[in-house]
Amino acid sequence: MLKAENLISKQRYYIIVGVVIFLMLILLSRFFYLQIVRYEKYKHKAEINRIRAVTVNAPRGLILDRNGNILVDNYPTYILTAIPGEMEQKEKIFNSISQYTGIDSSIIAENFKKYYRAKFVPTRLMKDLTFHQISILEENILDLPGVNYKQFPERYYPSKINGSQLLGYLREVNKPVQEKLGNPNVYELGDLIGWSGLEKFYESQLKGTRGVKYLEVDALGREMEEVKGYNNRRSEPGADIKLMIDADLQLLMEEKMKDYRGIAVLSNPKTGEILAYVSKPDYPPNIFTGKMLKDDWNEVRNDPHRPLMDRVITGLYPPGSTFKIITALALLEETLLDPSKEVECNGSYQFGDRTFHCWNETGHGSVNLQAGITQSCNIYFYQMVQKLSLSQWVDNCFDFGFGQKTGIDLPYEKMGLIPTEKYMNRKYGKWGWSRGNLLNLALGQGDILVTPIQMVQFINQIATHGNAGRLHFVKEDNEEKGIRPQYSDNTWNKIEKYLLSTVSDNQGTGRSADPKIKGLIIGGKTGTAENPHGDPHAWFIGFGKKDNQILTTVILVENGGHGGEIAAPIARSAYSRYFLPIKQSQIVLKTP
Amino acid sequence: MIFSVSGNHFSKSPFTIIIASMVLTSIGLISLLSISVHQSSDILRSSFFKQLVFLGPSLIGLLIMIFIPKYLIHKYIFTIYFIVLGVLFLPYFGRTIAGTYRWIDLGPVGFQPSEFAKLIIVFSLAKYLSDHNLEMKNFSSFFFPIIMVIIPAVIILKQPDLGTALVLLTPLLPMLYWAGARSYHIFLSLAPLLSVLTAFHALSFSIWGVLMIVIIFLERPKLIFGLVIYFSNLFLGLLAPALWNSLKDYQQNRILALINPELDPLGAAYQIIQSQTAIGSGGAFGKGWGAGTQTHLKFLPVQESDFILSVIGEELGFVFILVIILIFTWMILKMVKLGYSSKDRFSGLVLIGIASLFMAHVFVNIAMTVGMIPVKGLPLPFISSGGSFLMSCFMMVGIVMNVGVDSTE
Repeated sequence: MLKAENLISKQRYYIIVGVVIFLMLILLSRFFYLQIVRYEKYKHKAEINRIRAVTVNAPRGLILDRNGNILVDNYPTYILTAIPGEMEQKEKIFNSISQYTGIDSSIIAENFKKYYRAKFVPTRLMKDLTFHQISILEENILDLPGVNYKQFPERYYPSKINGSQLLGYLREVNKPVQEKLGNPNVYELGDLIGWSGLEKFYESQLKGTRGVKYLEVDALGREMEEVKGYNNRRSEPGADIKLMIDADLQLLMEEKMKDYRGIAVLSNPKTGEILAYVSKPDYPPNIFTGKMLKDDWNEVRNDPHRPLMDRVITGLYPPGSTFKIITALALLEETLLDPSKEVECNGSYQFGDRTFHCWNETGHGSVNLQAGITQSCNIYFYQMVQKLSLSQWVDNCFDFGFGQKTGIDLPYEKMGLIPTEKYMNRKYGKWGWSRGNLLNLALGQGDILVTPIQMVQFINQIATHGNAGRLHFVKEDNEEKGIRPQYSDNTWNKIEKYLLSTVSDNQGTGRSADPKIKGLIIGGKTGTAENPHGDPHAWFIGFGKKDNQILTTVILVENGGHGGEIAAPIARSAYSRYFLPIKQSQIVLKTP
Repeated sequence: MIFSVSGNHFSKSPFTIIIASMVLTSIGLISLLSISVHQSSDILRSSFFKQLVFLGPSLIGLLIMIFIPKYLIHKYIFTIYFIVLGVLFLPYFGRTIAGTYRWIDLGPVGFQPSEFAKLIIVFSLAKYLSDHNLEMKNFSSFFFPIIMVIIPAVIILKQPDLGTALVLLTPLLPMLYWAGARSYHIFLSLAPLLSVLTAFHALSFSIWGVLMIVIIFLERPKLIFGLVIYFSNLFLGLLAPALWNSLKDYQQNRILALINPELDPLGAAYQIIQSQTAIGSGGAFGKGWGAGTQTHLKFLPVQESDFILSVIGEELGFVFILVIILIFTWMILKMVKLGYSSKDRFSGLVLIGIASLFMAHVFVNIAMTVGMIPVKGLPLPFISSGGSFLMSCFMMVGIVMNVGVDSTE
């Protein structure tokens, strides 16, 4: 029972007392170390700890047309984020969010995986939530520990125009993109970045500066108050950019081109302002914003006609008969021909062992230079170009900027191809090519590829006698002059005369380009470019002059057949709208 | 007089222990109030209020333990032991709370039987060691006491509650030592543990290996025994990695985080780093009651229970920590002293057992709060919130009052 004696020795008692005191001293010394010795360090650490830098997204700058119509705008959406370390039961929370918003919880889980970075870094769950969805979530936020939301401005396109490839699209910064950009501080995951078109080219202006708010936050992610004395920085909206585009003309061109593949560009050659810029097929720009459906996107991306491609600056085409102008200019300037000298066209031409054909199989009869251009007679140019060497011809192409970028304010512009002797030697071997190739080149066929924007620059120089302004959408302060092809006034005047007669002459190939407006003169050249992809591409490049105003047009319809039949009428509608302006703007804003 | 009716030496009971425990409880309540006022909209559902409510049953438990006749405990403790063993299995049939089985669902309040297992173990060991006129010089006398402790410890470990399971083991060696076990045998009991712990560090393991040789050599056992002891320990140490793999992920993480807290500041070591930051930033006098930024921005997890001392360290500073540690030290030493001066062996063993339980809780909790040992999920006596635990602490105080006779008064 309880009779056993307590037999503890004094020595053992003291050992136990010693152990207790020893252990307690260890604990006490640890507190002394943390609270007294290392006080400053931990004090500082605690300061940082309670503060979270919260980024405030800056709305991007707007994009306006020349009359101030808004082409690209922002509207506020909400994104939902969660701090992974604070969500105790992820699945349950995802299900509740799904219940409140009607969004499939598997999508939420997928996003969570995609955006996850670290346990205590806010991770995006959903974007493009409506105000209504957010208010339901807000009411139930206590059931959703770790879940938070913030405003996020998205693009939307209030005007009726598409301008898809021109305006470009944004994409989300994901991990590979962020790595490519180098500096991870500028773009956060999930930020939007201009990825094509003007959005990309003017990214630095449009982007704006993200703000930073230093907030006291608790571990539930609840943001308390802003911390004073810290470097809170407001977000600075991006700068608006004003385009020289005329939305009215743009819309007209989009409508005229809607059934075709091809391009239409209108510009003011004196200033270099681009007034309309259409590449078809295109896509409704809204598919890239929040409301974009995956199916829409895939449809656009997998479309064999490549609507994402900007044909104006990246499309490479043979220029066809429009290049007879270059050949003529070169011959005139070198005074290698007598413009009045006639050549007999009977529909074909024998050169060495090859037979070259005119497009007019029955032949044009007697043709001088003017008729050769007006009626676009091939035989005339086959014969005349033989007076030129390849390098002479190539130099003239370079004078007009072919084979080089025009430097227009868009990314990814291509250079095209002008076959120099060096190029021909490399491709065919020194003896593998002959002047027969030049015969083709004189007609804009063979080893030559141009971008439509180069053609715009070309016709602008013709229309201004070599004084065209550098092509641009956004006016810059230090307007640098573009290239300056040097030809004598005589040469410029003659070419202009021939181009005018191409439209005004009864037999001119470009006659359907004339809207017949009093005081308006139209000049231009058609082209029917043979190509391996089917029917020839239809070109029309031209200008209209009235009083002091000039408008140039470059129209290309892929596989459209004859330039005079299909491209020229489209140019006509542009002239008539530009020189007979309608008082009221045609732009009707869409409801957002 | 009620005191004489109970047959206790109540007038000679160490009242100072009650006063000390009430002081500690008050400090705990002050901190819980700070947390509750600043973080909870509903004071009635706050941890402060719950703790206050639980103080009632706790004091009842205290009184029961003071007045329950010692001989009754002594007489029926083995019966109670087996009942409690059964009760420990009960939570497996209940629903899980926070992924564990350690609660019995009693309507609005959960109840943790493992808390009371600690008391039962101490009583049972005390009875066994005092009743059997054991020849403590023999290592074989360790056998039943170890079995007695291991069974409930394993059940609780399976719940899983590693912290409580370890605490359950702590009275064993001090009580054996108290009962006269040889230091060498205590060493042999501890050796496997040390072998396992040092196995993860090559240098420590080598030092431990040499140390074992020295100690075994000094004892001069039969050569064969010495070799068996030595090599089985080495073998166990080498086996440790396999044992390590059988631990749950979160337990592994907690141990790993201890080794290098900076490794993963957002993962396992998050609690430790936050706790250290809170404590360190408190300085000598603290940031003031209710002004702890780490506390109130909830960077500190489980701050009401396991990490309550971080809150105190941050808001009230080193001065209060010093006071708390001094009170605990005084309480524990007082119990040891009462044990030393008690007349019968049973009382002495009970007192040393309870002192070791308190010591285990205090040391493990504080050491984990300051990042010295892995997070065990162990609360701090009297101060941490938690109904069952507060009650069992006061019951232990009641037992100290019951069996302890303050010879100085």
